[in-house]
This record gives sequence, structure tokens and C-alpha cells, in this order.
Amino acid sequence: MNNEPHDHEKCLKLFRKLSEYIDRELDDASCREVEHHICQCEPCQACLETLKKTIELCKNMDDQPVPAAFSSKLRGLIRSVT
Amino acid sequence: MIKNPVTRQIKDNDGELIRAINDGKIDKFQDLVKRYEHRLYNFGLKMCGNVQDAEDMVQDTFLNVFRYLKDFRYETKFKNWMYRIATSTCIKKRRKSKFAPDRELSLEEFLPKDESEFNTELPFWAAQPLDKLLNAELAGHLKNAVVDLPEKYRVVFVLRDIEGFSTVETAEILNLSAANIKVRLHRARLFLRDQLKEYFKDE
Repeated sequence: MNNEPHDHEKCLKLFRKLSEYIDRELDDASCREVEHHICQCEPCQACLETLKKTIELCKNMDDQPVPAAFSSKLRGLIRSVT
Repeated sequence: MIKNPVTRQIKDNDGELIRAINDGKIDKFQDLVKRYEHRLYNFGLKMCGNVQDAEDMVQDTFLNVFRYLKDFRYETKFKNWMYRIATSTCIKKRRKSKFAPDRELSLEEFLPKDESEFNTELPFWAAQPLDKLLNAELAGHLKNAVVDLPEKYRVVFVLRDIEGFSTVETAEILNLSAANIKVRLHRARLFLRDQLKEYFKDE
């Protein structure tokens, strides 16, 4: 963390790119720009971490099992058309 | 005129099975159902929000896959082609039951209005390991939040972050540009992040 004056406009600009940054879809220059800003801006770090945790939670939601009655009905239906 | 068109080589784990079915081994279609019913059912639950519509979607998708499988050209992965059918089936189903137009999510609604709205401290939930956070209540809250996403954002979010398709694959499935997929995904994630912030606000 350094003591550069806080540039709110920079935060807003990077806010738009956070998902692409997380997904590693930014070009090298943009990626470096995000990293340079993030390492000196606590609000943007919080923003990035909450977004990453949101994605992580969503990706780890449990699946539901297919109801046995439906699975059986589906197989019967497929048998009838094949 | 192209004299020697280059056939795109697609590595497809389903290719052998699909070729067998299209070569006349129709009974192998049951293997395809076995392979994908679980994934499609869960895709349907997140897209439709209820068991009955999810079951209808899975059934209609498999029937359509069976009907049109002869037209599959092996130019894309079978799974991507099947999800195109599944997505279109979901969207048609929801349009029949719901006439309200999709709400737009603008980036501005997720932007802090000024510096005072920027949280400087990392909320506790963002620093917790997953196993400390994820329980049945939070999972239920998240599932409802996904269903509350306007459809055009929800479908992108579910394909990208739940089903694991890449940006390019999602663009192909939905017939949209990659740039459009990125914009919708970012807004969907911000919407869900706001729902989580709300959920944890009193803790």
C-alpha cells in the first residue's frame, strides 16, 4: 500500500473490468493496469475479493439429484421413440 | 471458390457415441440420456426455477436432440449443440408463462455513487473459506438470487459459471458476441454479489 492520492475515476474504470480480470481475459497491459491499481487501493481490493467469493460460492452450490420417477418416465419415453 | 476446404477438427468426447447413434445404433441414445440428464436437469432448475419446468425442459430437449441429431454436423462439440437446444427450450417455456419483458441491469446501478460508498474494509464473508460459509440456508438464498436474475443475464451466468462453458462457447450457444457475453456475465455477478451483501449485512 502506498500513499498516492486516491483516484476514484480509476476505481470506476477498473470496476468494469473486474470479471475479465478474474477470468484472465484481459490483455497483458490491462491486466498490469488492474494489478497496479488494486495493490494500492483497499476499496478495489474489497470489491475484487467480494466478487471472487461470489463466483466461488455460486460455482460450489450443490446439484440436485434427478427425481427417480422422472428419470424412469424419461427413459420410458425415449424407449418409445427409439 | 475454396478448392480444399479445411475441416475443423473438434475434440469431442461425445463424438463416438453420436456417430454410433447416427449410424443406426439408436438404442445407444439411452447412453446419451444417462450421460446428460443430471447436468441438463440442474441447468433446467437454475434456468426455470422449479422442478416441473426443469423436467419438461429436459424431456423436450432430449426429444429435440433425437429429432434433429441427423442434422448434427460435427463442426462444434455435441454438448454445445445440445445446450443450444436446451437454452432455446428454456427461453420458449418461460416466454409462454411470463409476459413481463426482461429487466435491463445497468452497470451504473452497481457502481458506488461516490467515494463514500466504497467499502474500504473487506467484509468478513469474503475472507471466510467456503466450507465455513456454504450451508443450506445460503445455498437456498443463492439459488433464489440466480432465479431472480433477468433471463438474458441468468442464461449467460449459468452457462459460464455453473456449466463451465468458456466465453467463446457461450457466445456460440447463444449466438451473441463474446463482448456481449462478458458484459452480461459481469452484471449478473455484480447482481449476485449485491444479494450476498444484503444476506450478510447484519452479521
